Amino acid sequence: MAESWRRSQWRNGLFALPFLVTFAAFLVFPLIWGFWLSLHKVDLFGPGRFVGFDNYVKVLRDPQFRQALLNTLIFVATTVPTLVALGLFLALALNHLTRATAFLRGLFFASSVLSVTIVTLIWRIVFIPNDGLIALVFDHLGWAQIGFLSTKGWSLFSVGVATVWWCIGLPMMLFLAALQQIPVDHYEAAALDNANRWRVLTRITLPAIRRTVLLVAIIQVVMQFQLFGQAQLMTNGGPAGSSRPLVMYIYEVGFIRWEVGRAAAASEILFLIILCAAMIQYVVATRNQEGV
Amino acid sequence: MKRFLFGSVALMAAGWASLASAQTTIELQRFFGACDAEYGSVTDVSAAVGECGIITALVNKFQADNPDIKVNVTTVEWPGYDQLNAQMASGAAPDVVSMHYSAISDYQSRGLLDPVDGVLAAAGVDPAAFTDAGRGGVTKEGQMYGLPFDNWTMLFHVNLNLMKDAGLVNADGTPILPKTPDELYAQGKQFTEKTGKPYLVQILANETAAYARVLYTFLQQQNSDFFADPTAIKLNTPEAAAVVGMLKKIKDEGLTTVNMDYPAAVSGFINGDGGIAINGTWLIGDFVAQSQQEGTALANGYTVYPIPQLFAGRDATYADGHGWVLPHKERSAEQDAAIAKLFKFLADNDYHWARNGHLPAVKSVFDMPEFQNLPHRANIAKIAETGTALPAAVMRQFAIQDIIGEEVGAAVNGDKTVEDALSTAETRINELLADL
Repeated sequence: MAESWRRSQWRNGLFALPFLVTFAAFLVFPLIWGFWLSLHKVDLFGPGRFVGFDNYVKVLRDPQFRQALLNTLIFVATTVPTLVALGLFLALALNHLTRATAFLRGLFFASSVLSVTIVTLIWRIVFIPNDGLIALVFDHLGWAQIGFLSTKGWSLFSVGVATVWWCIGLPMMLFLAALQQIPVDHYEAAALDNANRWRVLTRITLPAIRRTVLLVAIIQVVMQFQLFGQAQLMTNGGPAGSSRPLVMYIYEVGFIRWEVGRAAAASEILFLIILCAAMIQYVVATRNQEGV
Repeated sequence: MKRFLFGSVALMAAGWASLASAQTTIELQRFFGACDAEYGSVTDVSAAVGECGIITALVNKFQADNPDIKVNVTTVEWPGYDQLNAQMASGAAPDVVSMHYSAISDYQSRGLLDPVDGVLAAAGVDPAAFTDAGRGGVTKEGQMYGLPFDNWTMLFHVNLNLMKDAGLVNADGTPILPKTPDELYAQGKQFTEKTGKPYLVQILANETAAYARVLYTFLQQQNSDFFADPTAIKLNTPEAAAVVGMLKKIKDEGLTTVNMDYPAAVSGFINGDGGIAINGTWLIGDFVAQSQQEGTALANGYTVYPIPQLFAGRDATYADGHGWVLPHKERSAEQDAAIAKLFKFLADNDYHWARNGHLPAVKSVFDMPEFQNLPHRANIAKIAETGTALPAAVMRQFAIQDIIGEEVGAAVNGDKTVEDALSTAETRINELLADL
């Protein structure tokens, strides 16, 4: 290590420079600037005045922020396990190379390439009352209509369904890639020992892809905490703010109320929450792994 | 031959290039929807129907008449102010933007708009040509900050075919409309019993503007001075409770469609899902066109009236308007001249814009026989007197509208009590206004 350090030259750092410059310009600088903004009373159109941590106090006291935080936590707590479990199920089901599985892999991944506008348009057609797909099915069955996009409880659920449909492609592909890295001789040994499918899954497959499960979970936690477009386009955060996520709160405060300082404070809080959630997940998962 | 061909092509290219460089470009940003598939090349404005069709045809016609001016149109989702804010913050604002009168104060007070008095003078447009409501809507601190284009309000769009089935039509063919909340409940009940359909077609989902406009209207009818102080709203009042209580009762008694967002409510009324749609002036042209087609739910059976006076006090209805504003930025003299031409063209063609149902902003349009002969205009003529805006000093009217819509919607849908919703709305709005 010492020898390699002696032989290393600072010029080698130039290889990392493009990344470091981009990282600093688009991530570090906005983060610091966002924190600086959060300490000011400022709108979008001019200099503000320093107010210390007033914006943080106002945000934390705001019932709409607390409601948005709760909505977001519920959303993350329900969609992330669903995405991990469903992604794993699809990957296990499609982990064979046949024409049918190749087609189905493409089919399940296809939704991921759509824009949020198209995704919400599709699911709006499914959920809207009267002429929507579910409404027609309910009519046919003689069931009462449900306002999926305008009823408390159902609105966040509907946004979650659309999100899982949209995002399922990436977890499935990551799990498929991990499954194909497991040496075949492990399964052959299990077959010789007459192990049943459940035992193979829990003793060979899941331990072998544990790191991928962690990776998928962390990626999804970070992504789903940033829920915005689906909620804005499908429910507009309603009814009564019951499907308004944190990013939508930040957007409304910043762009509709013109309180950019307060929006920046809420953004910093969201950043800390995402960071903590990802770190806790990482620490817990790696500890369990060490204990095995 | 080759030389001739090359020479011709080079000459044509040079001609195009010189034409392109001679063109003055205006970046125009608007809402009103996108309909290029239908109206993208239409220059016959009289053939266009609806807000989107008419404004698209108007711009096409202006471009055809002025080949030296290129109008680049950007269509934004209604109302488009979030996008405009981002553009202004990044110094990339368009040259001309559609804006509600109720939003102009926010931008003018921050120095984000240029006055248009000079542009109008250059175009030879006399400010006295505009209606008081139009001119008042764009005038701040003695200067005009926009070209007034119209005034609009919410209306009762009536499906006369269903009203006949419900026995709610007078001998002269006019609909029987309520004059008190109790009459509204009774007529709604009669309508629902006779037709099996809800009396009202309302936008109750995924939208906030309709709730706010209806609340303002019925508060104004009760002479409730809820914005006596433009920096603080009063909603914890018996008048506001009476309005929200009425809206809730309408829903609870099954007198209205539920769960419909804006597009669903418009198509629902067109499909005959209910008797009376509470929606804006801008839909009159579209609904008239529907009523002129055989086989539709509105065929030969559409009319429209202002929202009736249901409360003792005065006949009033909340009104706003659309104007064209100039974001503050550097423009060339050629661009200023091009904008002046465009503004004159829009003012000169205000009649065509008014065909969609809006009240004209240009006084002389009211005297035009063509305007007077437009369907149903006599029914709604009184909104020129009864239309009432919020005080111009009230800032952040769109943010306020969102809060009111969310809280009143919560009360109507039973997610909160009426008192809790009004109290929360008042607190949230006053915190917003106190923190500007």
